[in-house]
Amino acid sequence: MEAGYGEDRRLKLLRQRVQDRWGSAYAPVRHLDPLLVVIALLLTGVGLVAIYSAKLTALVSQGRSPTEYISTQLIALVIGLIGMIVAAVIDYRHLRTYVAVLYGGAVVLLVLVLTPLGTEINGSQRWILLGPLQLQPSEIAKVAVLIAVAAVLHEAKGEPGLGSVGAGLVLTLLPMGLVFMQPDLGTSIVFVWLAATMFLIGGVRARYLVSLVVAGFVGVIVALQTDLIQTYQLGRLTSFLGASDPALAQGGAFHTRQSLIAIGSGQFSGKGLFQGTQTALQYVPENHTDFVFTVIGEEFGFIGTSLTLALFLLLVWRGLRIAVMAKDLFGTLLAGGIVSVLTLQVFINVGMTIGLMPVTGLPLPFISYGGTSLIVWFALIGLLLNVHMRRF
Amino acid sequence: MASSEASPLLRLTLLSVLVIGLFIALLSRLWFLQVLAGDRYVALADTNRLRTVVVEAPRGDILTDTGAPLVQNRPALTISVDRQVLLTNDGEPINEEAELAIGRLAELLRIDDDEVLERLTSQRYSPFRPVPIAFDVAPETVFAVQEHQELFPGVVAERLPVRSYPHGDLAAHLVGYLNQISEAELTEERFADYRGGDLVGRAGLEASYEQQLRGEAGNRLLEVNAQNRVLDVLRETPAQQGNDLIVSLDVELQAAVERMLAEGIVSSREFVRDDGRNLPSTAGAAVVLDVSDGSVLAMASYPTFDPAQFVGGLSDDYAEYLYQDEDVPQPTINRVIQGRYPPGSVYKIVTGAAFIDAGLAGPNTALPCPSSYEQGGITFNNWNPVSEPPMDLATALMRSCDTYFYDLAYQQWVREDRQLDAADGELSQADIDEAVSDMAYRFGFGDPLGIDLPSELGGYVPDRASKNDRWIETRQRDCRLAEQLEAGTYGQLVSADRCQFGGRWRGGDAINTAIGQGETQTTPLQVAASYLAIANGGELLRPHLGRTIVSPEGDVLEEFDREVISTLDLDPAVLGAIQSGLERVVADERGTASDAFAGFPLDEFPVAGKTGTAEQQPRVPYAWFAAYAPADEPQYVIVVSVEEGGGGSQTAAPIVRGIFEHLFDVRPAEEFEFELGPEILD
Repeated sequence: MEAGYGEDRRLKLLRQRVQDRWGSAYAPVRHLDPLLVVIALLLTGVGLVAIYSAKLTALVSQGRSPTEYISTQLIALVIGLIGMIVAAVIDYRHLRTYVAVLYGGAVVLLVLVLTPLGTEINGSQRWILLGPLQLQPSEIAKVAVLIAVAAVLHEAKGEPGLGSVGAGLVLTLLPMGLVFMQPDLGTSIVFVWLAATMFLIGGVRARYLVSLVVAGFVGVIVALQTDLIQTYQLGRLTSFLGASDPALAQGGAFHTRQSLIAIGSGQFSGKGLFQGTQTALQYVPENHTDFVFTVIGEEFGFIGTSLTLALFLLLVWRGLRIAVMAKDLFGTLLAGGIVSVLTLQVFINVGMTIGLMPVTGLPLPFISYGGTSLIVWFALIGLLLNVHMRRF
Repeated sequence: MASSEASPLLRLTLLSVLVIGLFIALLSRLWFLQVLAGDRYVALADTNRLRTVVVEAPRGDILTDTGAPLVQNRPALTISVDRQVLLTNDGEPINEEAELAIGRLAELLRIDDDEVLERLTSQRYSPFRPVPIAFDVAPETVFAVQEHQELFPGVVAERLPVRSYPHGDLAAHLVGYLNQISEAELTEERFADYRGGDLVGRAGLEASYEQQLRGEAGNRLLEVNAQNRVLDVLRETPAQQGNDLIVSLDVELQAAVERMLAEGIVSSREFVRDDGRNLPSTAGAAVVLDVSDGSVLAMASYPTFDPAQFVGGLSDDYAEYLYQDEDVPQPTINRVIQGRYPPGSVYKIVTGAAFIDAGLAGPNTALPCPSSYEQGGITFNNWNPVSEPPMDLATALMRSCDTYFYDLAYQQWVREDRQLDAADGELSQADIDEAVSDMAYRFGFGDPLGIDLPSELGGYVPDRASKNDRWIETRQRDCRLAEQLEAGTYGQLVSADRCQFGGRWRGGDAINTAIGQGETQTTPLQVAASYLAIANGGELLRPHLGRTIVSPEGDVLEEFDREVISTLDLDPAVLGAIQSGLERVVADERGTASDAFAGFPLDEFPVAGKTGTAEQQPRVPYAWFAAYAPADEPQYVIVVSVEEGGGGSQTAAPIVRGIFEHLFDVRPAEEFEFELGPEILD
């Protein structure tokens, strides 16, 4: 009995040990994708170098510290890494429970930014100042829409009816409209794209998708015909399209031209770190934020630009892989949505610096200067990790 | 459920294809921009950041032997404007503020807004250096700009070198002036290293010594940022100042000559001629050469102009004075080298030498001097209606006896025409050696002498060859007239004759040429050079102004020595006869200029000279006096000619006398009073 008990207890302990060992093999933390984090950090590193180079001469000539901008960015990185861990640790499936709170909070912030609480920069009201920090609510709203639409489509179990599509549309268009009023055309486009790709992944029928695309086009035409779009935005847009009115086109055309010169003059191997004249002499406006890609193009040439795009493509590949491996549709939708937003932002941002896309104020993920964007993108990496490690 | 399991995978694949497509689009565009079109963008990036600013070279000075400056550079207070601050690339004001600033500037400078804009957009200046829009402004204007810089964005006050003329309009024709290079000239080879807006010497020494005076512009390669702020000077080539030119001109003498020429011309207009009208004396020229080397000591042309008016551009009023004022005939013309006048009797040294040299008579052979001479049914009068006793060459010069020369000219013409007849068609009239034109060329007539001033004219020496050439050029018009006009009328007969025989050198041509009339044309400088050759015993010298070229450091780079063009090769007896004849023109009481020189200390300073009165029908004759002194040891040659000034002894000789008086300290120029000489129309 004693022995039996002892035997039994030993067996129990043994089983427990085996179970623990096997169990821990299935523990989420064992299934991290370290490559995701490495790529994100590499891209952030490229960004820090580019921002430093972009601001170096200007800051030195003003007698300011050349590290001013990158130290702010490093602080954002630390917060972003914490955000990433938080986003990875909480099981993503629980997000469906809190999505209403997240979504509601984002919408409130978007409304607040339009009130006098918001700060206007370059004719656009996009930021809320929190002491030394600038919060950009549209970045948070992006995450909120991602999770909310994913939740709605998840509920539809891969066969969404008109009701689900309608709900998804409303959830997207409300924050999009608020962002559009700031005005922020680029981020508005991201919202539409995000919803569209998630509808695609979520199984929305082809005819609904096609009708949505048609409706979108009509919407754009209406917006162009009315005064919904600010004159400067129209100017940038039409300069891209080759408009004839020079007064309207000048601002946009100048950006694009100087940006093309910077990137083109980098040639194959670049002018070398801190050797870019377009960069140092401030010919490209906003070259630490929206036009940061010009610094990479000028100083590191085609080698630099193609390697940077390769890093983004690696990230996309890992994200798509996670979308495929995800345990449920919600995970697939989250990962797929993140990948599609990343791709679109890279395409719009890089495209505008090389004259493929109109000039819209949209940051290059991980690379452009701007704390909110960096933090949100690390949080989204955290979300990807989350979906990945809970795939069983 | 199975279908919905497969469906997301299919749809994710669709998304992947889309994503990869977008990345390929970006990469191919980047490949095009950076690898295929990279060179073009490198060039554009350099255009963005690099600016070349030309640093203009200060032009060299023009100085006299004694170091007195004729032209130099002086710093002028200048208001300049940074074009890029106020104007767009199309030359329009950038904004309302710029327009206001231009208005304020116009008010400050007391000119029109449009004028400011016009000066601002002048192609003369690089857009990357401030454009000078007002030279020589008052210091108060500069203070106004500096104290209210906020009202005058882009406006700066600076000191720029401009041409300055310490002696005002002295020697204006010799100094010349500068003007902007024209677009057409920029394409010419000789202006290969000029840029739009450069100043070029347009007349006088500024033009003939352009290359030496000009210097070499430097440049600075600047790096500028997007705001066009200059960040760095990458390369600097300093401007090379132009060399100085030292000229033979005597500033004091020049001033005296200019003053006496003007005074003489203006005073002579008070004389009332037989026809009841005043002597027109419209214009004139005077030149003083150094007998020893042919250098120019003074050269004056009346009317004159002020070269300082060209600094910073001519005003409309002054342009009208220069080019359109009917009372001021062509003041920019330097009549000493560009006036083409029949020489009249001053030419008799040439024709006299020619006839004696040809052996028609000895220098001492006495030939008749009747009051008129008839040949071929035409009467040729002497200026003196009273017949004079036979005379030798010297006396003929002293009395300026026309008929003495007429007969010699006719005899020579007959001789030469006989050669033509004897050749029996083997020779054309152009092949005949002609005594008069040969001698004229030996004396320096017919071609420019090559003085170091631009646009010197060569005059015209008529003879069989040149008359034939002219006839070939013009006969068609005469032949047409001969057909068109009513037969038998005077005009028709003359045209028909000219059409058929107009190229023939006739006796009348030879007779007219013998006294410097007919087609003969000379410049005052040529007359001076020919008298200089008589004075120095037979060497024709090239007149010149430049003595040396000196570098800014003071090194002599180039020296211009005495240059003999040719020698007269005259028999000493002939030369002596001419010299003594010229002395007697002044010294002998029967000489044509003796009255004009009455009271002049000829014992101390003997003057040799010749009067001339050139008919220019229907105009009043042109007055000439050519002289050298001291006659026994010549130092100076002086020639004065006055357009429509009447007799040489009347207006020209008194001016020459005044100049000699100044030169020999007999009477300073300030005390010069023009006294009209006797009206001898030789």
